[in-house]
Amino acid sequence: MTKETKHIINRVLFYAVLALVSIYLLFPFYWAVNSSFKTENQLQMTPATFVPRDPTTDNVAFSLRNYEGVLQNADFGRGLINSTIVAISTTILSLVFGSFAAFALGKLRFRGKTPSLYLILSMTMFPQVAVLTGLYAVIRELQIPALPSMILSYMIFTLPFTTWVMTSFFKGLPDELMQSAQVDGATPFQTFYKILLPLTLPALVTTGLLAFINAWNEYLFALTFTTIEASARTVPVVMALFTGQIARQEPFGEIMAAAILITIPLLILVLIFQQKIVEGLTAGAVKG
Amino acid sequence: MSAASVPKKGSGGSDLAKREARLAYYLMIPTFVILLLIAFYPLGTVFYNSLTNRVFASGQEVEFVGAENFANLLSMTIVEAPPEVDEAGNVVIDPETGETEYQSAVSVLPREPRRYRELSQFNLFGTQYVVGATDADFIRSIGDSLRFTVISVAIETVLGLAIAMVVNMNFKGRGMMRVFMLVPWVIPTAVSSRIWEWMFASTRVGFINVIFQRLGIGDGQIPFLASEAWQVPAMIMIDVWKTTPFMALLLLAGLQLIPKDLYEAADVDGASKIRQFWSVTLPLLRPTIAVALVFRTLDAVRVFDLFQIVLAQKRYSMASYAYYELINGQRMGYSSASSVIIFVIITVFAIGYIRLLGVDND
Repeated sequence: MTKETKHIINRVLFYAVLALVSIYLLFPFYWAVNSSFKTENQLQMTPATFVPRDPTTDNVAFSLRNYEGVLQNADFGRGLINSTIVAISTTILSLVFGSFAAFALGKLRFRGKTPSLYLILSMTMFPQVAVLTGLYAVIRELQIPALPSMILSYMIFTLPFTTWVMTSFFKGLPDELMQSAQVDGATPFQTFYKILLPLTLPALVTTGLLAFINAWNEYLFALTFTTIEASARTVPVVMALFTGQIARQEPFGEIMAAAILITIPLLILVLIFQQKIVEGLTAGAVKG
Repeated sequence: MSAASVPKKGSGGSDLAKREARLAYYLMIPTFVILLLIAFYPLGTVFYNSLTNRVFASGQEVEFVGAENFANLLSMTIVEAPPEVDEAGNVVIDPETGETEYQSAVSVLPREPRRYRELSQFNLFGTQYVVGATDADFIRSIGDSLRFTVISVAIETVLGLAIAMVVNMNFKGRGMMRVFMLVPWVIPTAVSSRIWEWMFASTRVGFINVIFQRLGIGDGQIPFLASEAWQVPAMIMIDVWKTTPFMALLLLAGLQLIPKDLYEAADVDGASKIRQFWSVTLPLLRPTIAVALVFRTLDAVRVFDLFQIVLAQKRYSMASYAYYELINGQRMGYSSASSVIIFVIITVFAIGYIRLLGVDND
């Protein structure tokens, strides 16, 4: 076998594995898309069809009624806006405060580092159900409106996460960077935001993205804090409380259509930021 | 590491160290203020309530009960079940199977001071034993949650690392692949659980039964979500699909921070790709793996929405058990105690990882 053919076979195998992985990752999503275009009758067909088909003629038959149902629902649009506000605020606050703390924990010298790390982690080691009633009491006592109370309470899980991940990345940066900056007369804080922070950009984008999606998808806190203030409901809550516009039973098709509609903006977001991850990487490679 | 280990460079050095420590405390203030504000009181009440018989949403007087809730949640016993004996004193043999009949679990398990229920039975050297627990549902949920955690986190880590390494390579379509990779994580659990529930339907309405039947597994009527044997594996399948992207993305960020020249140097030395993986990639990725493991395990041990949405009260995870005890049973003290047990289990895992992977020493 020549080197050339071996190379080609490797390529083919590589893309075959890639295709398999993609199918695995995307199949349930495809199934949701497929279901979202089916009417109630089509959803009940056995065996289930890979594209929506007419039950009698077996021709391909897409139905847009689920999407119409979702888009006619005013709560859905407001839910999208609420979710965006809550998720963006949570992410920004967690990234800013988290990277402050992470810089301190990863690069500065002080007493009580390990206990601080464990204390921060321990705040997020309970099931949500357990802290729910206590949290609700705090929020009522301080009379915080629904939107800020969601932002604050989501930080119970996003802030320890960003702090821990960023700490491990700050620790990974060479100490010489700090020292040489200090020799040049930079204060530690200047060293932090002018030199170290740009180097951790890929990590920052990654943790931000993960925190954003976590906040975007959170359900239990959102449901509890918006029971009185229905106008503040986020998308997951709106979807759970969906009674459906057209379906007589459970509006499965409509839920799927709504899921597709809220997933697509997130995928676009990922597409934009994944470019940033690559840029951050090359910038880091030059300086480091 | 403490300030004591800072090399002494005269008074200037220690002054610098003091300034550095002060900056560190300032930088941590916002995080601690927020966490104290939102977490301190709720977590305190969880610990306090776990020692009481508080009832949820009621004005009923609260009594301090000490460790009573924990005793009721965790007490287990093993007793011998003697063979069933007829009037003549002979051991009863089942005429159909030819096996010895034993006394029923209910009759041999203790009732005082706590009532034990059957968890399982086993036979050792011809003696039948009954395992009893005061709260068989909770004990079972611990076993199920741990099995779920260990298997799904293990698969997710290996799969996540593989995917991260692939998308870290340079090839056409890499950007596309990175977006695909995140699709499962982006779909809200509330929705993806429903998609899977639909795919796991017990007839050929569901996709999995269609495929399994074509592959010759089952008759197209496997009741995945109703059968004891399939419930936890089905949950693991959903979770692996859903959260592998989390692992992959986190590990990808770690991979990208490994300097490229290390690999170039290894290439020059003639180290094979497999060798490079073990001696460059894995050691340098260790801190990232540790953090990813901690957070993934934490989420898996306290898994709630997946179990609650798909299995409801057919089978519990520890957190969904705590939820139903609180919401349906109104037993706030009892539910809080089960949350404290979850906390303890997570602590054991977290400390285990951190010690094992040595990430807390600078």
